Amino acid sequence: MDIRNTLATQAYTQALPKKPLRAESEPPMRETFNAAMDSAIDALREGETQARAALTTGADPHSMVMALAQTELAVQTAVTIRDRVVEAYQEILRMPV
Amino acid sequence: MTEFSSALGVAASGMRSQAQRLTHVSENIANTDTPGYRRKTVAFRPDRGPDAPQGAVMPGRVQLDRRDLTKIYDPGHPMADETGHYFGSNVDLVVELADAREAQRSYEANLKVFDQIRQMSTSLNDLLRR
Repeated sequence: MDIRNTLATQAYTQALPKKPLRAESEPPMRETFNAAMDSAIDALREGETQARAALTTGADPHSMVMALAQTELAVQTAVTIRDRVVEAYQEILRMPV
Repeated sequence: MTEFSSALGVAASGMRSQAQRLTHVSENIANTDTPGYRRKTVAFRPDRGPDAPQGAVMPGRVQLDRRDLTKIYDPGHPMADETGHYFGSNVDLVVELADAREAQRSYEANLKVFDQIRQMSTSLNDLLRR
């Protein structure tokens, strides 16, 4: 029987209840991603509304440009984060079990 | 992200204000020969509206230049008084052209800031993508 191995197991079981993988107060990852995606979709909708208003009713073009730039940034960020999440998931899937 | 979007808002408010300033300049230039026209000036003031980002600018109330109107001698003019003079506008074309050029330069500066904010946030995203 390997003593070091047993000690390591003991230390691990002692540490396990103290340090949960995720704090209880934190919202689950899914909700965080949902919120981020929702805000990106909101920015997209705002940009579309402004663009439509600028083209049909002659609203302020500066507001349209600003809304479209913000939409671009939000979509870029959302796409980048999605890519990272999918990449991490695939990395886990590739792990030899 | 919020810093970038509020900075975009401030730059857009600057561009909007300069565009309105140019509107008044063009009104003045168009009315150079209008009798009794007083040139319009507009002073900027901070925008403290509920949905305006902190530090945004907006054009304030339009004010009329109180300088004396130019007295023009033209006895045949329908508005001429008994001495043959009538009051023209107090627009000085040189001042208006300088004002228009200044509005253009300020607009360009705001546009550059806008573009720079976009570039900065794009390069931040590029860093994440690698």
